[in-house]
Amino acid sequence: MSVLIVAEHRRGKVRPITLEMVSAAKELGDETAVAVIAKDPAAIADQVDVEGVNEILYVKVDAEGFENDVYREALEQVISDRSPHVVLVGFSIDSMGFAPALAAKLGLGFASDVFALRRDGDDLVAERSFYGSKVNAELDFPNTERVLLMIRPTAWPPAEGDGAAVSAEVDVTISASRARHVDFQEVAASEDVDITGADFLLSVGRGVGEKENVGQFEELADKMGATLSVSRPLVDQGWMPSSRQVGQSGKTVKPKVYLALGISGAVQHLAGMKTSGTIIAINTDPEAAIFNVAHYGAVADLFEVAEELEKLY
Amino acid sequence: MARDPKYDILFEPIQIGPKTMKNRFYQIPHCNGFGSEKPLNQAYFRAMKAEGGYAAVCTEYCSIHPESDDTHRVSARLWDDDDIKNLGLMCDMLHEHGALAAAELWYGGPHAPCMETRCVPRAPSQIPSDFEHLTYPKEMDKDDIREVQGFYVEAAKRAREAGFDIVYVYGSHSYLPQQFLTPYYNRRTDEYGGSFENRARFWRETIEQVKDAVGDDCAIAVRMSTDMFMGEAGTQLERDCLPFVELVDDIVDVWDINVSGISEWGEDATPSRFYPSGRLLPWQKAVKGVSKKPVLGVGRFTSPDLMVEAINDGALDIIATCRPSISDPWLPRKIDEGRLDDIRECIGCNICISRWEIGGPPLICTQNATAGEEYRRGWHPERFEQAANADNDVLIVGAGPAGMECARVLGERGMRRVHLVEGQDDMGGIMRWIPQFPGLGEWARVVNYRKIQIDKLKNVEFIPNTRLDAEGVKTYGAEIVIVATGGYWATDGLNGCTHDTIPGADASQSWCATPEQIMAEGKAVGDKVLIVDNDGYFTGVSLAEKLAEEGKQVTLMTHLGHIAPYMHFTLEAPNMHRKLHKLKVEIVTYQIPTQISEGGVTSAHVYDEEHLTEWAVDSVVLVTQRRSNEALYRELKDSVGIDALQSEGISGFYRIGDCVAPRLVADCIFDGHRLAREIDSDNPEVPLPFKRERHVIEREAVPA
Amino acid sequence: MKVLVAVKQVAILGDEVEFTEDDRDVDPDYLDYALNEWDSYATEEALRLVEAAGSGEVVVISVGDEDAEDSMRRCLAMGADRGIRVESVRTLDPIQVARALAEVVRSESPDLVFAGVQSSDSVQAATGGALAGLLDMPLVAVVTKIELGDGKATVNRELEGGLVDVVEVDTPAVITIQTGINEPRYATLRAIKQAEDKEIDVRQPGDLGPQAQRVRRMFVPPKGEGAEMLDGGAAEVAQRIKELVEEKMA
Repeated sequence: MSVLIVAEHRRGKVRPITLEMVSAAKELGDETAVAVIAKDPAAIADQVDVEGVNEILYVKVDAEGFENDVYREALEQVISDRSPHVVLVGFSIDSMGFAPALAAKLGLGFASDVFALRRDGDDLVAERSFYGSKVNAELDFPNTERVLLMIRPTAWPPAEGDGAAVSAEVDVTISASRARHVDFQEVAASEDVDITGADFLLSVGRGVGEKENVGQFEELADKMGATLSVSRPLVDQGWMPSSRQVGQSGKTVKPKVYLALGISGAVQHLAGMKTSGTIIAINTDPEAAIFNVAHYGAVADLFEVAEELEKLY
Repeated sequence: MARDPKYDILFEPIQIGPKTMKNRFYQIPHCNGFGSEKPLNQAYFRAMKAEGGYAAVCTEYCSIHPESDDTHRVSARLWDDDDIKNLGLMCDMLHEHGALAAAELWYGGPHAPCMETRCVPRAPSQIPSDFEHLTYPKEMDKDDIREVQGFYVEAAKRAREAGFDIVYVYGSHSYLPQQFLTPYYNRRTDEYGGSFENRARFWRETIEQVKDAVGDDCAIAVRMSTDMFMGEAGTQLERDCLPFVELVDDIVDVWDINVSGISEWGEDATPSRFYPSGRLLPWQKAVKGVSKKPVLGVGRFTSPDLMVEAINDGALDIIATCRPSISDPWLPRKIDEGRLDDIRECIGCNICISRWEIGGPPLICTQNATAGEEYRRGWHPERFEQAANADNDVLIVGAGPAGMECARVLGERGMRRVHLVEGQDDMGGIMRWIPQFPGLGEWARVVNYRKIQIDKLKNVEFIPNTRLDAEGVKTYGAEIVIVATGGYWATDGLNGCTHDTIPGADASQSWCATPEQIMAEGKAVGDKVLIVDNDGYFTGVSLAEKLAEEGKQVTLMTHLGHIAPYMHFTLEAPNMHRKLHKLKVEIVTYQIPTQISEGGVTSAHVYDEEHLTEWAVDSVVLVTQRRSNEALYRELKDSVGIDALQSEGISGFYRIGDCVAPRLVADCIFDGHRLAREIDSDNPEVPLPFKRERHVIEREAVPA
Repeated sequence: MKVLVAVKQVAILGDEVEFTEDDRDVDPDYLDYALNEWDSYATEEALRLVEAAGSGEVVVISVGDEDAEDSMRRCLAMGADRGIRVESVRTLDPIQVARALAEVVRSESPDLVFAGVQSSDSVQAATGGALAGLLDMPLVAVVTKIELGDGKATVNRELEGGLVDVVEVDTPAVITIQTGINEPRYATLRAIKQAEDKEIDVRQPGDLGPQAQRVRRMFVPPKGEGAEMLDGGAAEVAQRIKELVEEKMA
């Protein structure tokens, strides 16, 4: 089973998902090539030369950065050239711009947000969630020769170690780029915070004690690159607006990281955050219900931990 | 849905004396205003808790003799055979649901002024009651002691005959047995006073006698206050309570553990304003430390996690509730069924208690509009009949307490579509900012519960950020329109004292404000603030507390003799006074402003108009009276007209809540609930008659 | 101006679940249904563009059984003009859904085709992209702002970490819409009632092509052992938190 990984990169830096896919490819055990589609693939190639990569394909294109027609057309040609059994792309915003289109056009097997892979004889079996992440399913692809999978970020660790990949150039011709990059913009922070859009939430609960203490955690959140959210009691008391409330009568959130400080985990609160990617909970009560849904936890005083975190950022 | 296994312990049966409770949920004795003389109201009210899963349900305090008469307050009574019949219905209905029935046998002594029976209460020493200051007791001699103990025995036998499984010898809240135990009430020098053994004697003997009489058939419960917080004069945990527990533990089947005396029993029935749930746990645990018998007690428990913790922590064997059982009689069942987000949590406002304190009216509950209506209106908190006119769409304008409740119940009754439209960005109305007063955070549960329930109802849609005008309402497409636009605090000083505005009062000025301008709109006030409070309930004092905590110098002026008199009924007054005193809030009584201007207020004494006082202040806050926001309703009714509305297909046009007349949140929720329950009656605007339990004479049968 | 909006009636699973006999899907008795959240934003965006253009129509298209018309009616109540539903069997994979939709798009020749970035139940984030691929139309995915020009549009593509990629795309195009692009309007009761009478044309699907994925088995994920508890004092815990955050946010 040969695997072709499409490297994801932005502004000269390879994104971690690329190396995570190398780890994923190891589950399938075979020849793994990484295609670097860029204006200057050589400048990026080093970053993907890790253990597990047999071949790095330099796919030179005119576009400065990511453009979906470019990637789709280039990849179509690379696939035709290399005939991989499995194509892996990251389940990312860039990939959403070309991978499903390619899979449909070429009649490939397809699944996205895949977080586990295995071989079952000659079959490829991929695992993903359904029904809002409440159930999982194993999928296979009996009807197609070739499969394209979009891989969930952080599901695999990034591959490390020096590689000894051979490199090869693949020439591609791009007929048209109908969606062209114009510019990048940083989004200005808006007054009205939408916690449902945040990737990293630092959430505080009753454990903060007093209204005056909330500001300290707001600052910490800022330093850590997180958005502050709260559990219901703080909103009831008027310490924070309801736009910040996580929970059944507030908002349901699914950030990559949910850091819960001093939140015990009332049912109504858990309902609003339990499908978060990684939940880290700090509470002085070892029996706190939040530890039932957390991936990582510590029985500790939130103020002490906050103080230490402040030093690190 | 299934029960979470970590709550399994709450559903383990437990033996108390000769009886078995099927789970650990116990409705503690509490008043409802029905007594023995409204037996159907009483029985249906109590049975709802049994239906909701409570393994044991108690009467309110149950008088054992006409000498224990608390009129105007309503107690139950077991004086004669007819009382047996009446309370027997309660026992039967509880038994049908597999619950035990308990009678809290009560003799009040001088705290019960006997205004109906005109008897003279007896007590260990002749000192007027610290609760009913005009009532003196007869000082008991040994014959009196024997007689009164005999009252307990006879009442216990009547209780057994009525079908009660548990009988109390009730002392908490400074009633007779505890009066003997407590030096504050007992100055005797005979063998019933002085040393601990002597002070304990009356209670111990009474328990023994009651046990002898009925102990084989009924469990004997003793309700005791562990500490009256009065120092050495009152009952003290180590000196009196724990030794008493050890003394009689063998003959008691279950302990019911409280704190406090009677004059400040808000230390026991804790308002959420001052205490979180579980306040009594340390005392309950202390008793469990010396007793071999099951211990039960209250603590305004709404969270099953806290309940489990109390048991695992060795503080309680049985979780008792009073107010949480009023706000949600189905609390046990909802925990059992894994429906935690359906639990209608008590907010600790003590509105229920206030009705008993006032004396006479039946209880009401802010969260549960059906409390007390089980019989007289036939309302079941969890069951709703499909509306006969369900094939209609409803528009509710305003998502405050009345609007939310109306939407919820209409949704439950299967109305085709209910749109709850609100101008602000979220539900709650007035209950968005009231819970932001210091200590009132739990009051937000009123909103949180309804938000969750409305979210679950598929036929109810909440539409925020939409302010409808008359045209928008008219053309919205609803067949039934309900206006619930709430109220506001008067901006011109209109008040119930002078029935006039206050010259110069103008909340559009920067130096003059109303409560919602400050709380909901963030209007700033200066350093020296004078609050004109003609309201009588919490808004003025809460505002004073909040502003004083922010560092303002606050003067709180009322035309009444007391600030916030209604808070006496909610048991919040003593601690509120302590707080305001600590915050150096200046309280001024019997004063009414005659002139308000920037920088100053002139006020006159209510009983002497010539006696004027000048106040130099930066800001004036008007808490004089509330007004209805009826502009939209008036425009629809008067300008647009009912005929025009009907041409648009609107067959029903109503209004509910504060926009009709400002009132308690409990009454706004009731108003919304009632309209929804009766939306398919012939004329929903007019409440249907409710059943009245009263004696109706057949004229022909009346003797000449 | 004609904008087609592909909408989906998504399935909502509560806390209890049972599977079908063959273990390949959830028992429908345990499912509730609603309009996909992304699709109300897409519908709103379409309505705004057509309103700004002064004339035109918004057509909602969907693949599903008759019950799926409930969600379509919500879009019609918002103001969409008519709907087209392709009759289907439950659980088509997103590529097959796109094949069914492609036929409709070809028959309508719209100026723009919108789809939500993803559906809340399957989260494949594929249907819109697949549709563009089948029709060979220009595509921009995950869009948070649209400005129409002449024969093209300038759109914002929302990237991870709050960065925005400004893209110029030739039209007609397929655009997948991200939540938050606008504030979807609410439908009054009158609009809901009027929507009952708007036309939903039902069509049979053509060739759906090969299944792109097949469910072998569906199951409840095994509960983890609970939280991995971090050792040490506050300093060690803080250090570990920092590492975890860096790892997971990368």
